[in-house]
Amino acid sequence: MIGRISAVASNTFREAIRDKVLLTLLVFGVLVMGSAKVIQPLALGEESKVVKDLGLASITLFCVLIAVLVGGRLVYKEVEKRTIYIVLAKPVRRWEFVLGKYAGLMAVLLASLVIMTVGFYLILFATGIDAPAYMLWSLLMTYFELVVVTAVAVLFSTFVTPIASAVFTFATYVVGHLTRDLRLLAAMSPSPIVKGGSQFLYYVLPNLSNFNIRGEVVHNALLNPQALALSAMYAVVYAATLLLISVFIFSRKDF
Amino acid sequence: MSSPVNEPVINTFRLTKVYRSGFRLKSVRALDSLDLQIEKGEIFGFLGPNGAGKTTLIKILMGLSKPTSGEASVFGESPRGARVKSRVGFLPESPYFYDYLTAAEFLKLSAGLSGMRGQEVAHSVRRLLKLVRMEHAANDQMRGFSRGMLQRMGIAQALINDPELVILDEPMGGLDPVGRKEFRDIIVALRERGKTVFFSTHILTDVEMICDRVGIVISGKMVDVGRLSEILTEEVESIEVAIAGVSGKFRKVLERVARHSIRSGDSLLLSVRNESDLDKVMAILREAGGDARIKSLVPQRKTLEDYFMAHVGGPASRDAAGRRNHDGY
Repeated sequence: MIGRISAVASNTFREAIRDKVLLTLLVFGVLVMGSAKVIQPLALGEESKVVKDLGLASITLFCVLIAVLVGGRLVYKEVEKRTIYIVLAKPVRRWEFVLGKYAGLMAVLLASLVIMTVGFYLILFATGIDAPAYMLWSLLMTYFELVVVTAVAVLFSTFVTPIASAVFTFATYVVGHLTRDLRLLAAMSPSPIVKGGSQFLYYVLPNLSNFNIRGEVVHNALLNPQALALSAMYAVVYAATLLLISVFIFSRKDF
Repeated sequence: MSSPVNEPVINTFRLTKVYRSGFRLKSVRALDSLDLQIEKGEIFGFLGPNGAGKTTLIKILMGLSKPTSGEASVFGESPRGARVKSRVGFLPESPYFYDYLTAAEFLKLSAGLSGMRGQEVAHSVRRLLKLVRMEHAANDQMRGFSRGMLQRMGIAQALINDPELVILDEPMGGLDPVGRKEFRDIIVALRERGKTVFFSTHILTDVEMICDRVGIVISGKMVDVGRLSEILTEEVESIEVAIAGVSGKFRKVLERVARHSIRSGDSLLLSVRNESDLDKVMAILREAGGDARIKSLVPQRKTLEDYFMAHVGGPASRDAAGRRNHDGY
């Protein structure tokens, strides 16, 4: 079982790192972090905070883009190119395939996150800004956010085209950061339809703002370890649920 | 884990697959109450025109698709199970591979997916690259491979787990005459090792050379199963006679005896129904005397092609079924 999942996962990893999309996003991500230096004069004495905040934000954004763009094509591409016939003709169970694809993409994201983090710290050293290891907490939370976003991408990838999957996943990511507003909307709206709709979305969509602790780490504020652990657990449970639904859909698929 | 001695390797009972497609969900019957038994150790050729339901049946046998009704079993079990798949090798029709992988990496992946580990993987990869004569390209990315090379990689991945049953969908597609010969040799060698081979094709010469039995499927129905010699009677359908040096008067008489005739200079090609008509031709030629002589005499037997042409209906119905076969999503 583990052997077969890791065969699918390592193939997914290899496919992604030989794909130009990933390389383009990585290069672009590092460039954006470097460009923070350009806007420094606008920051009026808060340079180091702006550069750090922008750097951490671009790492998150580009990793999410990788999850969305690479993840959206994950399952669909295998069906479209009919490589799926070869994989599923082997003694690979369908759930092992879905899990392998997910694990492979999570490995790609870990590698991307590490590469961009190294780039980020190098930029900070080069510009003489202090670079505390403390900021890594924020990047760890980003990885847990990716645990959720990738599961969303895999879910969509099992039943819609790559473009639709990318759009839906990115929309989920954006709205996932606004879920508190959704609850507010539910509380304030007089219309029962809007109330019900936003309440439904609030409960169904992932609450991604929990994973954003950039403000705290940039301002050297104290972190709440319990809240962080809770967020991490939330990510794992949420992703596991989505993967279960993905497996359910994928197992019923007729090729 | 062995099946009872007499149990067929592949068994289908009234297997039916209906696809619904298009805006109005028009239904297309790709397989229609198909019964089939394949015994251990035979090479079975599954013949039919494009869109007859060959790929649909194979997808069901590989657990990629579910039947609408009826049953299919492989080694007496549901084809969807992983246990069955570990005993089967499969080559899809015009297979696509991961073109960013090298030939060796692809076979390593296939071995890993089959549950192999460590030394076993390296050993199988070497063995199969050699078998399909692709050792020279082991470290080349598959994106640069020709159709024939891809087909070789396809058979290599199908045989990676040394399967007891090999299912091949149009295995000869894209191969040149040398490649086809090698492929036939591989298939025959598999039988010699006691393996069962089931392959679909619409190329008749493949079947005539290597199959023990054939099944002919048309519009989702099995119209004939048996030895090729049973399906195609040995009976002579007509006799082709080539004659040279016949003059105008006798030529007209000869043409009247023949079913068809073609003139070319002073030569004449006649097609006569049977031996008594042939005797008439001989008699006329004796009477004509002079330069008139028979150049050749060829009895015409029924070919698979004739069989096909006689059984296959209009092209419209076949195309409708054929299109459905490739709608994956």
